[in-house]
Amino acid sequence: MKLTLNLPAVPEVELVAAKAVELVGRDLGLSSTCIESVTVATVEACLNAIEHGNQRGFAVRIETQAAGGERWLVIEVEDHGGGFDPEAVSAPSGNRKHGSAPNRGWGLKLIRDLMDDVDVQSRPGLTIVRMKRRIGGT
Amino acid sequence: MNDQRLELSSELMAGGVGLVAAAGYINNEGGQAIADVINRLLDRGAVALLIDLEGTRIINSIGVSILLEVLEKLMEKNGRLAFCNLTPTIARTFEIMGLAEYASIFDDRETAIEELTRLNRAD
Repeated sequence: MKLTLNLPAVPEVELVAAKAVELVGRDLGLSSTCIESVTVATVEACLNAIEHGNQRGFAVRIETQAAGGERWLVIEVEDHGGGFDPEAVSAPSGNRKHGSAPNRGWGLKLIRDLMDDVDVQSRPGLTIVRMKRRIGGT
Repeated sequence: MNDQRLELSSELMAGGVGLVAAAGYINNEGGQAIADVINRLLDRGAVALLIDLEGTRIINSIGVSILLEVLEKLMEKNGRLAFCNLTPTIARTFEIMGLAEYASIFDDRETAIEELTRLNRAD
């Protein structure tokens, strides 16, 4: 199974990708909790693509793969913005004293925590966030 | 996507508990709408806020960030923030972003209201 969406950078377009993930997840027989966590990670990756993709639209690829005796649901989100250094992205502080810490910039942290494997390749003009979730044995 | 449209309702209950019920997608606009409702409840005398997320399946990081700002404001006023009816993924998101460390999480609305009312009376 492979599904590709080419989406414009417009408000709430991330919900189109979320719906696609939900439909694929249901078809694969995944639990609602698994589907929701993959959906949230996909939404966050789409939001990053919308924010950093120079308003040029972005692509979402959803597919299942088999590797190493495991089956995986793989989501890739690709944009053509300015790129960034994924190693330089750190999660904001958990300090909740008012105004003491920025509350934004949690997207990549959420993606990494909700998915089993995440790889980010980024350079000027091309960023690909590849997220994998284990869905069973082959 | 119509099923994701955020629907909000609010009520100021006895004991100073403000209840906000939110169902739908919570993004920057949804988070701000919840914050606005909470500010109005605080102006009317609420000292504890309960946000019931039954019917909400997705809340993005910007929406949670706005709730974190609400939490910080409440903490400055010695108020309380609580949530109920969270999906496992939303509960996990709150843990990752630190919201669960400072806000109370309840399984259901009735238990939450009972506990918040008791705490308000004890203050």
